[in-house]
Amino acid sequence: MLTLIIRRILLLIPNVILLTALLFWSVSALLGSPVAMMLGQDADLESIAALNAKYGFDRPIVVQYADWIWSALNGDFGRSYTTQQSVADAVLPRIPVSLELAGWAILLATLGATVLNSIPVARRALTAMNTGLSVVGITVPNFMLGISLIYLFSVQLGWLPTTGWVDWSDGVGAHLLHLIMPTVTLSAFYFGSFTLVYRAEYRATYRQMFIKVARAKGLTESRVSFKHALPNSILPVITFMGLSLGQLTGGAVVTETVFSIPGVGRLFVDSITGHDFPVMLAVGMVIIVGVMLMNLLADVLYTVVNPQISLD
Amino acid sequence: MVATRWIGLSVIVLVVAAAVFAPYLTSYDPSRSSVDFLQGASAAHWLGTDDLGRDVLSRVLYGARTSLIVGIGAALVATLLGVPVGLMAGYLGGRVDVVAVQLIDLFVALPGLVLALIITAMVGATLENLMFVLGFVMWPTVARLVRGQVLNIRQSVYVEAAIALGGRTVWILWAHIWPNIVRVVAAQFAITVSFAIFTSASLSFLGLGVPPPTPDWGGMVRAGFDFLAITPLMSLGPGAAVAVTVFGFYLLGSTIE
Repeated sequence: MLTLIIRRILLLIPNVILLTALLFWSVSALLGSPVAMMLGQDADLESIAALNAKYGFDRPIVVQYADWIWSALNGDFGRSYTTQQSVADAVLPRIPVSLELAGWAILLATLGATVLNSIPVARRALTAMNTGLSVVGITVPNFMLGISLIYLFSVQLGWLPTTGWVDWSDGVGAHLLHLIMPTVTLSAFYFGSFTLVYRAEYRATYRQMFIKVARAKGLTESRVSFKHALPNSILPVITFMGLSLGQLTGGAVVTETVFSIPGVGRLFVDSITGHDFPVMLAVGMVIIVGVMLMNLLADVLYTVVNPQISLD
Repeated sequence: MVATRWIGLSVIVLVVAAAVFAPYLTSYDPSRSSVDFLQGASAAHWLGTDDLGRDVLSRVLYGARTSLIVGIGAALVATLLGVPVGLMAGYLGGRVDVVAVQLIDLFVALPGLVLALIITAMVGATLENLMFVLGFVMWPTVARLVRGQVLNIRQSVYVEAAIALGGRTVWILWAHIWPNIVRVVAAQFAITVSFAIFTSASLSFLGLGVPPPTPDWGGMVRAGFDFLAITPLMSLGPGAAVAVTVFGFYLLGSTIE
């Protein structure tokens, strides 16, 4: 198991190198000289050349990439063009914020999709409700859902804080209150797709012998459903979770922007609109590596839940 | 299933009608500003006016054009790229398949919106660019689906018979495989349109949409966000338009299969 995980991680390395090289090359080729952009349209050629030489943009692209990845491996991603802050200092504190939001959202979506679809009473009404909710979750874009929630719960009802982020250390209650709407917004899409995946499997499970046996033993319907059917239907949800992590990052970018959450996604959008080349590269790499690692994690989780499957 | 398909279809017809007949449905120019800015809903302006005094309803109607062009264009690009790759990978197998699957897996694992953000930032957000960028981001899903279908059909006896009779590959693909996957491709097309509209609206919400003054739903939601407490419809109106359009295409796509 452990050797397999290590092998998978080693296999990630060429992919990461390939993707970051592509990212680096395309960003620098198509964006043109970042210096020209920093100085604006009126800059004369000499000052552009001087700054180019200072930052090393006059060297061949391969050398620049090798240099960048070498420094990156040593923890040095350069400095932000806009804030002059070290990129590592700008990115690192934002990673736990994004991970926390994503974690809550996945948790809420998984719990919601499995529990709401397993409740053994009022099946017909519940199915209709869940179908409606899942279609809404899949088709309503994050920004629309987020803004609607802000309008309803902050502007109209005044129950929840509009946007922003409060750190754990500044009060657990405030921290959680600020998390409610972003979590619901981000989880909606996953709730929708998990519901569709889970329900199909749950129905198939329910037709199996051991469910009949459990019933025949005289177990209550809710015990049959939650204790026997649910654990045996959750596997496709985990697979799907792994497959949809890429989507999750996209959703997180939008959600963080709507709710002004200081996460990686928001930093990424800011770096793109501000043409902040080093930050853009670093965050791009963090997102790519992060998604790949989480895919791996989902695969590992999959084998833990179902030991019949090996990681090959 | 048939009922939901009709719901999806009628939503699409409504959106297309809004796009086509926008000049007849409203008397306001969508990019003409006035002094009546930030007004709430009234008989004159059903969805109110925005911060420049432009009529929100007419901007929503004209915005349907942008969304539909980008969405359908992107789905066309994705289908034109994805179907041949999927067909070849599934039918030819071997090395072609290995390379194609590697490529598809790499792209599918990557975050589509993030990829689209980077490329759009580099090539600039114009209607054509957005179509190509979103099509490029979405083709792997189409290719993977087609490949899976072809793998199944290739096993069937009639394909084997066609090969035994000496049929050329192109002819077998056209006469025996294509008719069997065309339904799935059509369904996927509608779903791709819905996600292309979804993603392009997200892009323009993040500030990478078609440049103003072209009315564009995602950008309108962003602009209205700052005035949510004053005139919520400025943001929620175009937002609802995105949601309804995505819903229509998604519903149609998921009921064809």
